[in-house]
Amino acid sequence: MMKKLALLAALAAVGAAAHAEPATYALDPSHTFVTFEIGHMGTSTNRGRFDKKEGTVTIDKAAKTGKLDVTVDTTSLNTGTPQFNKHISSEEMLDVAKYPTAEFHGDKFTFNGDKVTEIAGNLTLHGKTNPVTLKALNYNCYQSPMLKREVCGGDFEATIARGQWGVNYGENYGFPDNMKLVIQVEAVKQ
Amino acid sequence: MKPSSNKASRRAAPVVALALVLATGAIPSRAQDAAASGAAAPLSGPITFRLDPAHTFATFEVRHLGTSTLRGRVGPITGEVLVDRAARRGDVRLRIPMTTLDTGFKPLDARLKQPDLLATEQNPEAYFVASNFHFDAAGAVTEVRGEFTFRGVGQALSLRARSFACRQDAMLKREVCGGDFEGQLKRSDFGAGFGTPFVADAVRLVIQVEGIAG
Repeated sequence: MMKKLALLAALAAVGAAAHAEPATYALDPSHTFVTFEIGHMGTSTNRGRFDKKEGTVTIDKAAKTGKLDVTVDTTSLNTGTPQFNKHISSEEMLDVAKYPTAEFHGDKFTFNGDKVTEIAGNLTLHGKTNPVTLKALNYNCYQSPMLKREVCGGDFEATIARGQWGVNYGENYGFPDNMKLVIQVEAVKQ
Repeated sequence: MKPSSNKASRRAAPVVALALVLATGAIPSRAQDAAASGAAAPLSGPITFRLDPAHTFATFEVRHLGTSTLRGRVGPITGEVLVDRAARRGDVRLRIPMTTLDTGFKPLDARLKQPDLLATEQNPEAYFVASNFHFDAAGAVTEVRGEFTFRGVGQALSLRARSFACRQDAMLKREVCGGDFEGQLKRSDFGAGFGTPFVADAVRLVIQVEGIAG
């Protein structure tokens, strides 16, 4: 009897999975950016953006699971100020010659109905890996009239302590450990 | 520019200032005028701040198809800021180089610069001119109200401080004041309504600014 029930449950699960199969989305490079924000001497906020990145998202809306894999080219740092790009990329901070990529692999998706509200995973930066949870401020899917495909995305944020990744520059003279990641993301259904 | 209680001439003042800026290619400075006339600027009086090009940028944010937030950065912003904290007055004239637009994706930059959006060929600069400063009890700037000219169209704009602070900079050996300001506008008010409502009409401006006391 128990065996029969287990078999039935397994069949039901397979049936459901087959009904709403996971969909894969490729990140749209024109609407996917990682910007960091960090306080400057208690006065204003410095911002920098990484321009080159690639990745895919797999979402199963029915099973409410997902997987996000993103690789960011750390040499594509863009602050608007060439001397900052150079300094932040140097051995004193990101050391992009040694660590030319940063990666985020998220495998714990939280949903509210159809909408993703959180993605938890691991961020590898500067050769070190620590858990990070990205919180959604906006999340939506739409049918792109130009691409004739479904596009899903939103705005995600996380505050990280950069010291955890061994990036401690300037902490003794007023540059905070905490920094905010502001992420725009849109991904096109494949 | 003499202070005037006449409304029409007050409204005209930013335009006159802008004309001066355009004519001379420089931002007129009241402090320099005072120095030229031989009057020593008292410590508590107006201080001219030179904008720090490494820490003075504007980023605009606009919602894309109700989904994510598209951002573009322009800068560094140039200009001068005059603040008299004791008298709770200020004056700012900014030139915003729209041709420096950088979204991080070059084809998008090229599209946004077209005549139906930023129109950077026709109007390579935007301007913000303001003399209506608000301060908190401690003397920090909380809001600056003035006129924003974009695509050659001038509209009232208020920039509110999310943060504002002054510090004695150890490296520069000077006082540095600045913060983060935010403003909101409708791009259709300036004739840049292409793509609404798919791309939102509402634009949020996020401005980082630091000025070095001269």
